Amino acid sequence: MALSPLDSPKPVPNAAKTITAKAKALTLSNNAASSPSTHASTPSSDGPQDLSEQLNDQVRRKYVQGGRLGEGTYAIVYSGHLVSDPSTLVAIKKIKVNAEYKDGLAMDAVREVKHLQELSHPNIIKLHAVFSTRDQNLNLVLEHLPLGDLETLWRNKDVSYGPADIKAWAGMLARAVWFCHENFVLHRDIKGNNLLIAADGSVKLADFGLARSFADPYTKMSCNVITRFYRPPELLYGTRHYGGAVDVWSMGVVIAELALREFFLPSETEIEQLDRIAEVFGSPTEENWPGVSKLDNYVPAAKENLKRPQPLMYWKQRFGMLGDEGIDLIRYMCKLDPRSRATARQVLEHPYWMAAPRPTPKEKLPRNAGGARKMAEDLKRKGGEVEGEGRADKVARKLDFSALKR
Amino acid sequence: MRLTEDEIYRSSTQYRLWSYTADALQSLRSSTNASAAQRVKAAVKRQREARRESAYNSDAEKRVNGTDSGAVTPAITDKEVECLTVEEEQKIVNAFCGQAIALGQFLEFPINVVATGVQYLKRFYLFNSPMTYEPKVIMPSAMFLATKTEIFHMTAENFASRLPNTTAEQVLAPEYLITQALRFTFDVRHPFRGLNGGHMEMAAMANGKAAVLPSANKTPANLQQAMLKLPLEPNGSSSSMNVRAVEKRLGEATAKASKTLKTAALLTDVYFLYTPSQIWLAAYLLADEVLTLFYISSKFEDEADPSTPSGISKSKVIATVRACAAMLASHTSMAHATEDEIKALEKKEAEEVKAIQRKLHYCRDPDKMDLVKLNKAQKRDAGTDGKLEESKAKRRKLEREKNEKEADEFWGPELPKENVTGK
Repeated sequence: MALSPLDSPKPVPNAAKTITAKAKALTLSNNAASSPSTHASTPSSDGPQDLSEQLNDQVRRKYVQGGRLGEGTYAIVYSGHLVSDPSTLVAIKKIKVNAEYKDGLAMDAVREVKHLQELSHPNIIKLHAVFSTRDQNLNLVLEHLPLGDLETLWRNKDVSYGPADIKAWAGMLARAVWFCHENFVLHRDIKGNNLLIAADGSVKLADFGLARSFADPYTKMSCNVITRFYRPPELLYGTRHYGGAVDVWSMGVVIAELALREFFLPSETEIEQLDRIAEVFGSPTEENWPGVSKLDNYVPAAKENLKRPQPLMYWKQRFGMLGDEGIDLIRYMCKLDPRSRATARQVLEHPYWMAAPRPTPKEKLPRNAGGARKMAEDLKRKGGEVEGEGRADKVARKLDFSALKR
Repeated sequence: MRLTEDEIYRSSTQYRLWSYTADALQSLRSSTNASAAQRVKAAVKRQREARRESAYNSDAEKRVNGTDSGAVTPAITDKEVECLTVEEEQKIVNAFCGQAIALGQFLEFPINVVATGVQYLKRFYLFNSPMTYEPKVIMPSAMFLATKTEIFHMTAENFASRLPNTTAEQVLAPEYLITQALRFTFDVRHPFRGLNGGHMEMAAMANGKAAVLPSANKTPANLQQAMLKLPLEPNGSSSSMNVRAVEKRLGEATAKASKTLKTAALLTDVYFLYTPSQIWLAAYLLADEVLTLFYISSKFEDEADPSTPSGISKSKVIATVRACAAMLASHTSMAHATEDEIKALEKKEAEEVKAIQRKLHYCRDPDKMDLVKLNKAQKRDAGTDGKLEESKAKRRKLEREKNEKEADEFWGPELPKENVTGK
């Protein structure tokens, strides 16, 4: 081992210097602030850093990681801010390394990074930067969106809102989905709690962990996408070829939920989900959906169980908040047959947006109750959590370390 | 609320981060080469000094047991290491891009997976030198990453099992390096869909069903008439074909262009220098110049030098497409030669590459030789959560080294496995 290249003396002042100079030049062209601290950095255990490692470090050093905001199945989200400007807040989403997953970088992370890098739109969460830490975890620096999401909003009984507010939120959602489709990206997980709310009140489509580009004709896609309540009937029937229509269905369900202030099509199983859909839109048949009987999981309803679609009265009673045009729009978005369903562009062209009332300007939209108070509460609780986390981590590390020594 | 294709393309990472002028591309490669060479020389020098020191200080036994990686000159000399030139680096990277295509064909990958994998390799070697990271090691990993980003996923285990002498660990070890060098941009815009779209559009034109741009001031009927009379060769006399004959002509041109896009377009620098639409039009130009120029003209008014509504002149469009076509045509696979001549050319290139590989063997960066080991070391030093500070990592490493050293001094160095088992 004595002569292994890993243990060779370092750093090499000369080489390190030129590399640093070059990395700086490159960084400047990449619009990043050049970091004067590069020299001071201790090289990792394997000699002087690569150019790309240096670029990465410079990105990483631009941000300060703060308290933990939440934890999902595949990531932990921290608050953070710019070093140069502590008032510029960000969220840092750190992708968890899944020990079970043996294939390197997780697919969700690959998908999310791939698509968010390409999409820049006021109603889509902004990916400011990506960097990695020493343990080879990806860290996504995302836009800071402190005001919760659309689902918590309609659940929150302290918030009251009206038709103009729904139209404003729905409009921002529709523009985001249109933009994705215009860029040939299917989101495939549109739902209230993936629609986050920014400090200025605007809605931002987030979580691109299931997104993919439109497939080429004949290429099969997975039908096991989109959270069940928001999954369109063609996916429940197992279609492997689909397009933007799947996102449009989900969008229709989300808008309906905003008007109802409860889940529109809740279910326990996929079979039940199909029942819920049939109860509202009628049982899918060759008449209302030509070709449906050819889908893999299609089971025709028995004659006596054949459900008829709800009459207009049902819609008027439940969805008065949307007005006649709004009702027409969500029924258009939730057509059983994906080929006659609205496209994202047709959604934007619908008369609903031009009808009264005008959408509320985003600054004036109702917010999750007592914004500041709730945020402060959150912050307090999170502070405690982080403390605890830190201690637990240290213990874990120690155990880890002794195991390593042996 | 209509987005133009130009606007969409300009917002892509391919345009923002991976498009260059020819000069910028050249200078980026030169500086990557220079810094890699410097590092190799420094590392080799360090190694030689260390070896010389150990030759003086320690007993002969230790030298015998030292796991010398052997890639650097075995003899202790002060001869300067001869590093690869930019041209040599290019040749060897391109050779491995060719191998990536062959691998993709062997594994029956869709073309978008292969093409993305090849571009990952080419992008990786803009910021890294083959002297630092061997293309042989990076290539399979880049291809594996492409199966993920292009959603043609297979397990690393399965992927590795289909390659000669490769483990999943080896495939995954450089993945992280690659994503970092790609600056975490995974989307690659290819010209394949554009080619298919163009083909369908031209077929519609031949049938008198063209969707005409309002600015072009043409009707589907007169476009069809003009198309049926197109000469077969540039500067040839006008022909009179029926719709079927034009469709056949289109089919042949598209097939030829498609082949160009799957080979020369991937193996030259066109992705760095041109847009996907320029690339497919250039490939089409090489397949059927008359058709291509007619197609481009169909987008403009019939004037001396018309422009698009956004002010791009037709002559500029054609000049750019021609420049791209010239670059595609310069690739060996496109040579106007007999099959035997092309084979001879390819053989000559293969021999050149072999010679470069021999040279590479002596100028590898010894610090980056074993990526699997490096990958493990990096993960180990970072702990499990990455929050470990560098000072702690360093302290821990020193401690570990000290322990190892003490253990060695007390028990003697670890015995080779063969001796333990007595074989």
